[in-house]
Amino acid sequence: MSQDQLAEFSRLLYSPTTLLLYFTAAFVYLYALTTTVGRRAEQLRGQRAQRLAGVVTVLALIAHLAHEVVRALAQDRLPLGNMFEVTSLMALAGVITGLVYLQFIRHRPELNGFVLLGGGLVLALAGLMYAEPGPLMPILDTWWRTFHVTLLVVAMGIFAAAFMFNGLYLLRDTAERSVADARAGGAGGSTVGAAYVGDLQSDPTGGSGGDGGDGPDDDEVDRDQLRQYHAALRAGIPPLKLATGTFVTTGLVSWVFWYSADTHLEGVTRFLAVNLVMVAAALLSRWFVPFLPSTATLDGLAHRTTAFAFVLWTVGVIAGAMWAEISWGRFWGWDPKETGSFLTWIAYAGYLHARATRGIKGRGAAWINVGAFVVLMGTYLIANYVVVGLHSYADL
Amino acid sequence: MTESAPPPEANPSVRRPPRGSGWKQRAPEPVRFVWDSVVMGWRWLTRMRTALYLLAALAVLSVIGTFAPQEPNVPSTVAEWRSGEAGPGVAVSQVLDAIGAYDMYGSVAFTVLLFLLYLSLTACLVPRIKAWIRLVRRSKPPVVRRAGARDETATFATDATADEVHTHAEDLLRRRRWRVRRHDEVSEDATDDGGTAVRGRSAPAQVAGEKGLVSREGGSLLFHLSFYVLLAAIIFGQLLTFEGQRGVVEGEAGFRDTAVSYWSYSPGRWFGEGDHAGWRMELEEFHVDWVRDPLAPGAGQPTEFRSDVLITPSDGSEPYRETIDSNQPIDIEGRQVTQLDWGYAPRVVVEVDGEVVHDGFITPTLEDSGAYRGAVKAPAAEPDVGLDIFFYPFAPEDEELGRPIPTGAPWDEAPMLLFQQYRGDLQLGATQQTVNQLDTSALDSEGGGYLRPGQELSSHDVTVRFPELRRWVGFQVSSRPAIPALLAGAALLVGGLIPALYAYRRRLWVFATPDAASGRTLVTVAGRAFQRPDAFVEEHARIVEELSSRVSGSEVADPEDGAGPTGAGGSDDGAIDGGPSDRIDDDGAGRRDAPSTDRDPEPALHDQPATADAAPDHEVARP
Repeated sequence: MSQDQLAEFSRLLYSPTTLLLYFTAAFVYLYALTTTVGRRAEQLRGQRAQRLAGVVTVLALIAHLAHEVVRALAQDRLPLGNMFEVTSLMALAGVITGLVYLQFIRHRPELNGFVLLGGGLVLALAGLMYAEPGPLMPILDTWWRTFHVTLLVVAMGIFAAAFMFNGLYLLRDTAERSVADARAGGAGGSTVGAAYVGDLQSDPTGGSGGDGGDGPDDDEVDRDQLRQYHAALRAGIPPLKLATGTFVTTGLVSWVFWYSADTHLEGVTRFLAVNLVMVAAALLSRWFVPFLPSTATLDGLAHRTTAFAFVLWTVGVIAGAMWAEISWGRFWGWDPKETGSFLTWIAYAGYLHARATRGIKGRGAAWINVGAFVVLMGTYLIANYVVVGLHSYADL
Repeated sequence: MTESAPPPEANPSVRRPPRGSGWKQRAPEPVRFVWDSVVMGWRWLTRMRTALYLLAALAVLSVIGTFAPQEPNVPSTVAEWRSGEAGPGVAVSQVLDAIGAYDMYGSVAFTVLLFLLYLSLTACLVPRIKAWIRLVRRSKPPVVRRAGARDETATFATDATADEVHTHAEDLLRRRRWRVRRHDEVSEDATDDGGTAVRGRSAPAQVAGEKGLVSREGGSLLFHLSFYVLLAAIIFGQLLTFEGQRGVVEGEAGFRDTAVSYWSYSPGRWFGEGDHAGWRMELEEFHVDWVRDPLAPGAGQPTEFRSDVLITPSDGSEPYRETIDSNQPIDIEGRQVTQLDWGYAPRVVVEVDGEVVHDGFITPTLEDSGAYRGAVKAPAAEPDVGLDIFFYPFAPEDEELGRPIPTGAPWDEAPMLLFQQYRGDLQLGATQQTVNQLDTSALDSEGGGYLRPGQELSSHDVTVRFPELRRWVGFQVSSRPAIPALLAGAALLVGGLIPALYAYRRRLWVFATPDAASGRTLVTVAGRAFQRPDAFVEEHARIVEELSSRVSGSEVADPEDGAGPTGAGGSDDGAIDGGPSDRIDDDGAGRRDAPSTDRDPEPALHDQPATADAAPDHEVARP
């Protein structure tokens, strides 16, 4: 095949193939998640769905890897040169790490759907920065770039997965707290679903989802009460507040798409598209709150993934400084992206410290993690599109 | 001192003299106030919350430093912000100036914050280091009376004696590099060799182990200590460093490594002029190329930057050739030489009345329009001659218009030198102007024109010639003796970070007790992790499995009260049926009874889980 045909093929592999497969796998996994608290027959259906989702996931990963390989062939270099390629690899790294971690280390495959959903969203975001395959600037053509960029991109992907676990933790925690409040202050607050909140502590159904069908005998579970409990959990998260919060938080970063667009119409469209998709994802996650594992599990997942990514980020930034000394003749120059990577490092260090500190750990630390991810994405987008520095590769 | 001795159970009340009974009692009020404030400030500094606030403040300053132009990098932009020509306006600019935002990383606020952060770090580390040293030197795993309610627990039965099981457990844990403490109920009843109080009742025979506390905390300390290494390396680096930039035109004389030959020169305070090596470097040829096909992918992008240089060593030995590439600086006698910049260097000759007043290569700088902007200043003429120059590397002739059309393309396929000619006073030394700028305030325009290479143009007695086009490269010569220290600091940082995040502190106890009913020995392995409980669950299972196979353990068939200790979770691996016969060589030799197994008030181990839910803190001995 000629280079042009390869480029076209890699584009097709990216969209629609990989994107569709990601979202399909995500939704099948999410469906399977809802069956973990159901009756036996439902659980069996869920297990079959999970197997199906596994197959689709493998296909999605193959398609994504094939896209990267074909793109590498089309331009005769590693696909690490522009923002589209980096964002795509960020999705791939996050998905692979997240899936391996959930499936083989933590044995919680029921959460795979969220990883795939997040990966699909990041991959879709890459589409906003699509660039045709091309050669590489000579200054970038070095082993150092491969090392430095790969580490940081993989760290970004894992930070994204950590952000997602962290978001789920905040959702679940908010829901549980509000149900507990309703129970404690029954007279004053809403009593919706309070009938079932007695199970909040032991949580025989919702919290242990996916333990493999050895839960209580399902026929004994009062379906009505269960539904009420689920409704109460969902009601614990005010949807308008969630939507507004997500919109504003996303807006902290996504204004860059507006800023960098050629026309205002295009800018508004991109800005709103990014924000509304994030709002939709948040509302969708809210619906799945009753099926999530315990807050301790989600917090642990967020912490371990963040810690792993933090090590990679540290090594990546050090590698970047070493490369800068060779390439630019100085190891640190407070270039916008250098400052940004330093800020990101500080923010995540703050999270790790906060999580070890009494009084801040839990929700406080989780909010720091959210802030750190905003800093991370802000660094990535702002230093490329807004503040011009040595690291600006948006035009490539 | 009280007369009656305190009861042995309780902590003896220690009567300390009131703190600071000495000079502080006698000190006047203001001094005491200051002292108390210092103590309060120190306590405030040691808090983690304070450190987080300081980090956040550092982040805020860095953000300001990102958005505000920095004087050391872009002084001209800062000047424009100050004068209000650009940026948010004069008022905001004054505020920015007041907080030092135009040189954020050298500002007082930044320095003070950094100092506070290091002070906070120190205040936090000093007690931690002391505690850690104490831990390494003295600590022993605590002995407990029974497994805790939330411990990871597994139980199996074996025919080996309790003593043998304990010996195996001790060996196994030691092999896995645990700190191990063997506790024999009888011998340790009265006194505890660790000096710890076994209060009142004794603990059952057990092997207690602990792991991860030294490496986790040690890694964390190493990580934090590496910041001192980095700070010292940066400070000494600033003092010892040297950095100079110099542009060199192809085929020209080059330059020597001496203090006066650099265009911009920033030595550290401890770098003397005598530290220059004195070698000479010339640029023979500079190679640069682009993707010239406008339809090709990546059109217009550069594909090559490479300098062929000739170096004459300082000892006068034979000159040698080197190639400097964009990611391959060279090392000349301990100095790193990097390509920073490049540009076109047209040679411009100016004659007035047949007399040459200027002949040299100019080094115009690239502007956003794609033009290279430069100037010729010829004060030798009377009056001065000045040329304002726009150089276009690719300005092909347009057939219809009959004149060149400048393009933004950077390759020199149709170079054109466009100039505006001035006579008058250049005001050299009188006003601030760069090499590539003319101050036209005291100059009169005499028109201009454009030249192709080899052409000349005359007007008003002045002849301008453009004989040839070459290229120039901006090299940076730097010496950074602190780099190895920085690398060492970075290595310490990563080397400490990994155990700090991945090592986890956990404790484990192995209790083996003869079971009167079955005549076998019941072994309970209990443990808990202070971090990463999931990782510990797996480790616990592996240890149970290994211990069980060593002593041919088997699952406890039917726990008496239906709440078998195996129910605590994660113990499915502990059930090893008929593991391979092990090397228990003293099996038949001297099977002694395990130490006293009388049913004393102490709850028996194997029915511990039934009561454990309500058990309070159950450790009897802490290091």
